[in-house]
Parts: sequence; C-alpha cells; structure tokens
Amino acid sequence: MRRRFWILVLALAGSQVLLRAQSNSGNGSRDAHKIEATVQARDGAAGADWPSFGGTDLAWRYSALDQINTTNVNKMVPAWMFQSGDEQGPLQSTPIVVNGVVYLSTNRVHVFAIDGATGRLIWQYIYEPSPGGRLSSNRGVAVAGGKVLVGTGDDFLIALDQTTGKEVWKVAVDDASVGGSISSAPLVVKDKVIVGDGGESPHRAYLTAFDIKTGRMLWRFYTVPGPGEKGHETWAGDSWKYGGAYPWMTGSYDPELNLVYWGTGNPDPIFYGGQRQGIDLYSCSIIALDADTGKLRWYYQEIPHDTWDYDSAWECVLLDRQVNGRTRKLLVHFGKAGYVWVLDRETGELLNVHPYSEVPANWVTGITDKGELVGRNDSPMEGEPRKLICPASSGPKDLEQTAYSPRTGLIYSPTKEYCAYFTQRPPVPGAANDHGGGTYVYTAPPGHDSAYSHIDALDPVTGKRQWTYPYKYNLLASMLATAGDLVLTGDSEGDFFALDAHTGKKLWSFQTGAGHRGSAVTYLAGGRQYIATPTGWGSVTASIMAGLWPEAVSWRTGSTLVVFALPEQPR
Amino acid sequence: MTRTLMCLFGLFIVLFRPALASAQRPLGPAEEIKRGGELFNRTCAQSYCHGANGVAGGAPRLTGRGLEGGYIERVVTYGIGNTPMPAWGQTLPGADLAAVIAYVKSLNGITKSADAGPAPPLSTDAMHGRDLFYDPAAELGRCSNCHRVNGRGLNIAPIKTVPSDAASMRTVAAPDVGTATVKGDTFPALLDSQTRETIRLYDLTSVRPVLLTLASSDVKLTQGSSWKHSSVLEESHSNADGKNYSDDDLDAILVFLRAVIQL
Repeated sequence: MRRRFWILVLALAGSQVLLRAQSNSGNGSRDAHKIEATVQARDGAAGADWPSFGGTDLAWRYSALDQINTTNVNKMVPAWMFQSGDEQGPLQSTPIVVNGVVYLSTNRVHVFAIDGATGRLIWQYIYEPSPGGRLSSNRGVAVAGGKVLVGTGDDFLIALDQTTGKEVWKVAVDDASVGGSISSAPLVVKDKVIVGDGGESPHRAYLTAFDIKTGRMLWRFYTVPGPGEKGHETWAGDSWKYGGAYPWMTGSYDPELNLVYWGTGNPDPIFYGGQRQGIDLYSCSIIALDADTGKLRWYYQEIPHDTWDYDSAWECVLLDRQVNGRTRKLLVHFGKAGYVWVLDRETGELLNVHPYSEVPANWVTGITDKGELVGRNDSPMEGEPRKLICPASSGPKDLEQTAYSPRTGLIYSPTKEYCAYFTQRPPVPGAANDHGGGTYVYTAPPGHDSAYSHIDALDPVTGKRQWTYPYKYNLLASMLATAGDLVLTGDSEGDFFALDAHTGKKLWSFQTGAGHRGSAVTYLAGGRQYIATPTGWGSVTASIMAGLWPEAVSWRTGSTLVVFALPEQPR
Repeated sequence: MTRTLMCLFGLFIVLFRPALASAQRPLGPAEEIKRGGELFNRTCAQSYCHGANGVAGGAPRLTGRGLEGGYIERVVTYGIGNTPMPAWGQTLPGADLAAVIAYVKSLNGITKSADAGPAPPLSTDAMHGRDLFYDPAAELGRCSNCHRVNGRGLNIAPIKTVPSDAASMRTVAAPDVGTATVKGDTFPALLDSQTRETIRLYDLTSVRPVLLTLASSDVKLTQGSSWKHSSVLEESHSNADGKNYSDDDLDAILVFLRAVIQL
C-alpha cells in the first residue's frame, strides 16, 4: 500500500498545483467551473437548488453558490425557522430544494413544502401508518416528475403531488411484518425512483426500482444472491435467507455510465458469523447496477464475512481525478471500519485504500494494496477474555456524510475516535432468526481519557490530511461545502458553524438550541443565498453517547429547520 | 446496522415503576393481554429496546416472530445472560409478569380462549404452512404481501374463501378484481374505497400492487380482468432450491388457513 501511496502522491502533484493556482485566482463560482473543467469530467456541484440527497447524483454535498463566503460569513444571521411539530426527533433528513421551495420530511413522515425565502408553509402531509406500523426515522424525500417521493418506516413508498401534497400513489415495498423498512431518502434515476431496504429483522435485502409516474415496480436487486445465482455459494446452509446486507442509505448515479452505486450493510446475524461461513456476498460491499435493468455490473466487497457490524452502507462519492497520469472516474467510499476505499467506478478496480481515523484500527493489522485483509482480529465469544477492538461498531464515520469541494480538491469528513469491547454469541435457542449474535460496549480509545472527534480535510485519493479541526464530543451531522470556500456543520451541543475550507479556521458559529444529527443544505430563493440546517439531537448512535459522556443527556432533541442568510441590504 | 443495536445504556436508566398495581382479581384472557400491553409499552418498549407493540427498536422485534410460548416464558422470566435483556421475574410482581408474558405470546399468535383454556396447538403441518405463509424467503410471492391473517400481513385482499386444494389455490377466482381504464391506460384493478369525488384502487399490473388515489370522474371500472393468482405465486422462491411454492407447500398453507380462519 505504501508504494502505491507514493505513486499516487507523485501523480497527483501536477493536478494539485493546477488546482491551487486557480483556487487562488478568485472567489467567484465562475472560477469553480473553470477548475471543474480542468479536473472534473462530471460536475457534481449543486446550483441554485439542492435537488437531491447528496446535492447532486454524484453525492459531493457541494454547492456552487458563493454569495456567502469566507469574507462575509461572520455577518450571517437567522432568516427564519420551521418547527415541524413532530416530537419524534431528531430532525435528521436532508431538505430538498426545487425552485426555491424546501421539501422537508420528519421521522414520522410528516412532509412539508415550505417557501424557501420566508419559511411560510405551502402544504403539509401527515402520514398515517398501517395498523401496528412503526415509524422510526426518516432521512429525506426525493422530488421528480411533479412528485415528492418518500419512504416510510413501515415499508411503503409514497408519491405526493408536488403542488398540493396530496397522495397520488402508494406501494408496499414489502410486508413490513417480515422485517423491511425504509429510513433513507429515495434516489431518482431518470424515470425511476430507487429505494433501499432498511431492514429491521433478518431477511434477504434488496434495492427496488419503481416507475415515478405509475408506482409500478420495475426491478428488484437482491443484495444476497439466491439459489442458482453467482455468489450464493458464499453463504452456508440457508443462512442466505436471513443474510441481511441492507442497502439502508442512499446511493449515487453516474448518468454517463448509466450505473447506480450503492453501499450495502452487514450480514446477519450482526456479530456472530458461525452460521454463515463464507464471505457472505454482497454484504459490506459497493455494488454497481445497470440503472435500466437493475443487473449487477460489478461489485467490490470491502469486508468479507464481517463480524464487527462494519457496514459499507455510507455514501458513494463520485469524482474524477488524475491517478498515475490518467484521469480516472473514481468512487470514494468512507467505510465504517476506519478505511477509505478508492475504486475505479467503471470497473470496480481498487486503486487505493487508506485509513482515516487517528486511532489505529486493529480489527485487522492492515489491508494490502489488493484489498486483502491481513491479521483479522475477530471478537471473542462470550465468556472468553474481552478484547478492545477499534473502531467501535458505529465507525469513525457514521451515516453523516462527507462533502467534497472541487475548488480545494479536498474531502471533508467528520471522524470519531472510539473503540469497543465486542463479544459474539451463538443464536439463542428458540428465537427465530436471532438478529444480533453479540454485544458491544463503547469506550475511549487506548491512551485517551475520553472518546473524541475531529473534522478533517483530506485528499480523497491519497488520504493526505490538509488540516484538522478537533472537537471534544462526537460529531454526528453531515458536512456541507460551498464555492464560498466554507465548510459548514453542527455539533452535538447545538452550535452550527462555518470553517474556512482551506485552513479549517472557524469563521462563524450560532447556537441553535439543540444538538445536530442532520444534513445542512444551501440554495437560492429570490436571488438570495440561504443555508438551512436541521436541528435536534438523537438516534440510536446518539443515545450511545450517554455512555461515553454523562453530559450527553443535556444535548436536547428537537425537530426544527434553522435557516441562515446574510442581512438584507438597506434599500 | 446501528439503528437496531442493543439498548445497552438506555435500558439501565429505565426504572420500572409499578404504577399499575397488581390485580386484585384474576383477569380474563383479554384483560390480561391488555394489561400486559400497557406494562410492555411502559417498560420493554422504551429506550431503544423492543419498540411500541414489540415491533422492534434497538432490541429485536417480538411481534409475529413465531416465538414458542415456553421460550417467551423463559426469556421474560430469566432474561438472556450477558445481554441487556433482564430477568423480569426478579422485578415484576407475579401477576404483572404473567400479563407481560401473555401479551408477548399474543404478539406471536398464542392466545388463551376465554372459556376453553389454551387454544389447541397448531398441527405440525399447520405450523409449516404458517411459516411458509410469512416466509421472508418467499419474497415477492409471499402470501402475507397481500393477505392479513391473525393480524399479520398486508390487508390488500381479504381472504374470503379457503380453496380446497393447491390447484384451485393457484387458479382461485378473484371476482373482486376488475379492469380499470384511466386516461387511456387499462390495467387489472382492485377497488379499495370510493367517494363521489375520489376513488382509491390497487393497480395490479406489477407484482407489488400500487394503491392509486384518483378523481372518480377519471376512472372507468369494469368487471372481469386478465389478472391471475398463479402469476403472483410464481414470484415465490421459498424452497432451498429457489423454486416456487410447491403443491405440498400450498397444501400446508391451506392447513394453516383452515386452522386459523373462521369464515
């Protein structure tokens, strides 16, 4: 890996110089486009709107807007707030903005259309769950074809009329009593909407595509191969039937290659692998599917036979960079196991893998440049001496997302440092399809009094760190990068803040009154740039923080969108 | 998959409060389940554990799992060692413990009849049929995707007759399925509800029925359709070899339906 690392550094030196020179030439968004033309074959920047979960289909979480920038962000003030009234916090969805209208969803699937300039409610839709249906979390809507599309915790996909908020169609993705659910935002690909199966109890997971216009199912791809399919032999006995591999976050799409990319979750049972001997395809993998047919084009499994709950479900960032002297179409993936996998997104070839946590991961002693795990450190069985394994099972990066700026060429990651004592146990006799198969207890990393976190600016290909911003608790909110050379996010104590994308210097902050678990976005309404952040602390991962820091009980939940702008100029 | 992780920390801050005093008189089966549900939702459902009505939180789902009665009694009373699942037998008064056990059993289809003692246990064939009816591996052809039995499954098409054998189950007549024409598009449709202004019907074109909400004036609905029950059954992949429900499978499902459905 080290040899490959240096080759990459040398290869990238040229393009970095070019980038830097142009970045320094001005602050305008026109410059940003010039840089993209040089090193970006595809433009993944959001513009006036924030049309999809990751900003665009390439999942950069980057906006070309630059009215608010490093020179004036310190003047930024609240413009309006929207309180959803859904007390099942936190507000963790990514707002979608189309033509200046903000579409916002909450955990109990209350969906709102809000005037982006004033905060005035245009319409609302309150979902009524099916009898016994459970709604746990919701991470956003998709907007396309005159419809607002939203998944539900009781496993329905619903299309609302974009103008009125009235239900147009509704389809059960599966019988929720068997174990499916949807918590992620759907991904729109041309005339289709694709949703990932969030799982709840063990079954064989899948991605499903529906026709946006009619709601009719078009294809389904199972992330665990069935009998007769290639890869089925990687599961022992009938473990495939309950194998999980839930693609429970939102994927990406490359329109030129017409490929949909998705990360898959852990195999089930989570920690105990005794029943599912084999590498358990396609769990903990990146899969590339033909968008029209749902057929598998390639896969890359990051972690064969996972027993640490190291899902690979997080976002797939699609960007183009020079590697070894030629422009490669890349997929950059921050895994939950403390490593970044850099793949060629045309073929699935591994180009580099680099660690991104400060505390050395010890679930393996290393990963070769071919991606092979070296020195697996599997967790002990119950009753055996306990073992501290790093990172903890929520990963250095959880479902909160990175941001990539083409202006700096850097990717911005919220990184947590903690470890856990894992144990495995065989299934409880009599419990059908026991899901967990083990436990863990989170703790501070070796040599540290406490867990901690930091925001890093990294070269996405080599992992070289440009700067770091430390934080004493854990960061669970996404990054937002803009052409104003700002990186914005919120912390668990409630501060929403802006950093200089080049240096990491804090330029501005505002106490919003509750911790942050969501994903901020930026957009233009009436010619004015706004920055909107969901607020409210919570989620399963957040609740675990109370075991690391007693004061975590004071990081309040909530469900409010707080929106900022520069002060209006006197007329 | 962190959202389903164990309630390691939360559990210990939930203190059980005996707000519901122990019963003064023996409760009837329905009362006991109701009381067990109240106790459950104040304790077991909380703090990222089993979720309201046992539909799962950080800890596993309990509803509709096919858990055996003896297993439920054992786990609720003695807990599961080295996991966050506590031994409630050491904390709850006896009547409350019994109520919680009765409730969790009811979530798994185990109920006591009001006058006749415990319901007769399902035969081996019926239990096999039950497992097939709700089988996760049956996927798109799974019976419970459209039929709700014993409070479990999607209630798209209520079962009105239990066919006599596997062959007639494949070709079961579906007189409620008609043909809808909406703005030039014609498809097999099942009416859900209708008012003067609005009609809700299932479009049965794809294997997952789509519930459409339409203006009544836009829809023409006629009797009869090209839809076939067998086309859905062909989507099942229940057996280890990935084949559809076999005649034996369907026969077992019929045994289950005859045991639990009173038409």
